[in-house]
Amino acid sequence: MDKSFLSYIRGPIVMIALLVAARYLFPNKMTFLFEVSTFGIYIIANDILYGYMGMVSFGQPFYLGIGAYTSAIYLAHIGHNIFVAIGLAIIMGLLAGLLFGPAYIRLRGDYFALINAATCAMGLFMVEKILYPITNGDDGLWYRSRFHETPFLDLRKPADVFWFTMIVLFLVLVFYTWLDRSTLGAGLRGIKASESKMKFLGYDTFKLRWTGFTIMTILASLAGSLYAINYGFVNPSITEPARAAEVLVATLLGGGGVYGPIFGTLAFMGIKDFVSSFMDRWELAVGVLTIIVCFKFKGGVWGTLQTIGAKFKTGKAKPADAVSGENAG
Amino acid sequence: MFELYLTAVIFGLTISGILFLVSVGICIGFGLMRIVNMEQMVYYTFGAYMTYALVSSTGSFLLGLLCGTLVAAGSGYIVETQLLRRVYGKELMFTMVVTFSVFMIGIGLIQYIFGLSSKPVGMPFKVIVTIMGANVPLYRVIVFIISITVYFLIDMFLNKTIFGRAIRAGIENPDQVQGLGINIRRIFTITFVVASGLAGFGGVLNAPLVGVTPYMGFEMLLFAFITVILGGLGSLKGTLVSALIMGQVVSVGGTIYGPLAFVGPFIVMFIVILFRPTGLYGVKGRAFGFEEE
Repeated sequence: MDKSFLSYIRGPIVMIALLVAARYLFPNKMTFLFEVSTFGIYIIANDILYGYMGMVSFGQPFYLGIGAYTSAIYLAHIGHNIFVAIGLAIIMGLLAGLLFGPAYIRLRGDYFALINAATCAMGLFMVEKILYPITNGDDGLWYRSRFHETPFLDLRKPADVFWFTMIVLFLVLVFYTWLDRSTLGAGLRGIKASESKMKFLGYDTFKLRWTGFTIMTILASLAGSLYAINYGFVNPSITEPARAAEVLVATLLGGGGVYGPIFGTLAFMGIKDFVSSFMDRWELAVGVLTIIVCFKFKGGVWGTLQTIGAKFKTGKAKPADAVSGENAG
Repeated sequence: MFELYLTAVIFGLTISGILFLVSVGICIGFGLMRIVNMEQMVYYTFGAYMTYALVSSTGSFLLGLLCGTLVAAGSGYIVETQLLRRVYGKELMFTMVVTFSVFMIGIGLIQYIFGLSSKPVGMPFKVIVTIMGANVPLYRVIVFIISITVYFLIDMFLNKTIFGRAIRAGIENPDQVQGLGINIRRIFTITFVVASGLAGFGGVLNAPLVGVTPYMGFEMLLFAFITVILGGLGSLKGTLVSALIMGQVVSVGGTIYGPLAFVGPFIVMFIVILFRPTGLYGVKGRAFGFEEE
């Protein structure tokens, strides 16, 4: 496989260019594109957990909330520098991964999913009730007026936040491309395929899973802090356990691969946006769609696109996961 | 003060009864079919909404009870034969997502028919009984008695009838049962229909207590999962015991400190999963590790 530096940034550049082009073609959709970008990072985090390691978590909003609340508390009570807030969110994500990891990752699939749901519910309880003096409970924290001007990009303006998000998304995508081709990524996929064989080959699967889990918490936390900075306020609804389903559905819609999560997000948010414009019951549409994707398009949006692309190139269809070595599905 | 706590305990027993009824399907689904039944709460919601519709139109709670249970069992039959047959034996995540999609479709349908707002359902009878100084609606006591009766009926069914024994054998090892010439698929269907009927029955009984909202299944889903995990997967007795514990945690805990009613069950689950992941009556060695057995 092509391992040159260019090959790592080529795909992400195209992806970012498409998003930027979309931002100028549809100027009133900027918030939507921003949400797709941040939610995309969040879905990438979940895809490392599900797509690579085959672990399901019902508590993803908790890790998003860690980042959002770390940034928010810093900006509302302590400092004014937005970059420090993002840095702190990343550090908190790292700490959460290191701390919760050893206890959680040794659990089997369904237990892992549920203990995350429990963590998420307790996180919601903490920000709503126990930390009330700091987090203001249900009223949420408002801190937009406390932002100081930042050099290079003024993150007080939505347009500049969009550019900043594009830079962050670019870096995340480069990292994700690297992960897809690296030994670490192969090891994580090996865990999904057969953990006992990985152990037999001499890999410490506990450490591998811990690493994957920690990368997930860091990325989710980063996405949370981007949310917090763009909207200038957070409230406990960001950590609601009921929202964990969105993450799973978007991940599954996207399918595997480097760009699966972004396309999944685009599909999920697009459908939500589209459906809610003429009926306020998007659950029905998303549910039906997910079942169709589950049974008919096993590779998700990205996998199907790859299959179509392969058909275009060679004139005949190939299964999605045969096209590349990526984790389709 | 004593009366307050006694009332809380009796209210907790009612919650336990409802929790037990709706958890049976998830418990057996885990044990027998090896799938995570996230869509059981659709039947719970359907049952509750049927009761609402019939009580508000005809005024007869018994009719609501009958129709709610039947509609729940019927939708369970359709879902099992049309959809779930295709997911048996697939990986866990797949079953979770498929059943959760069914759950979302169910919520969407409910919203489409009945709208988003929550609706009250009238109590079938408003008699208040006094037990040792505590005033309790008779309905709550009856709900608890009914669920205990259901437990004993299911227990008898599983232990005394041939069919029940086939189900129990299926929980132990489905392939062996198939090898003995028993049609395991039909057993799956019948068990599933009974379980969804019970979930609907739980919904009917709970409707007068909490009213109906389209999202009523969401929190019940989490609580039911906690009940099943705490009791141990596939163990009916464990489910009953943990439902009894959970009811008290919610009710007495909520009386002592309000927010405990919501967060208490999660704390219980957190502790149980970390220190005794097999639950109270579960089989040892199933919870850890990542390989499917």
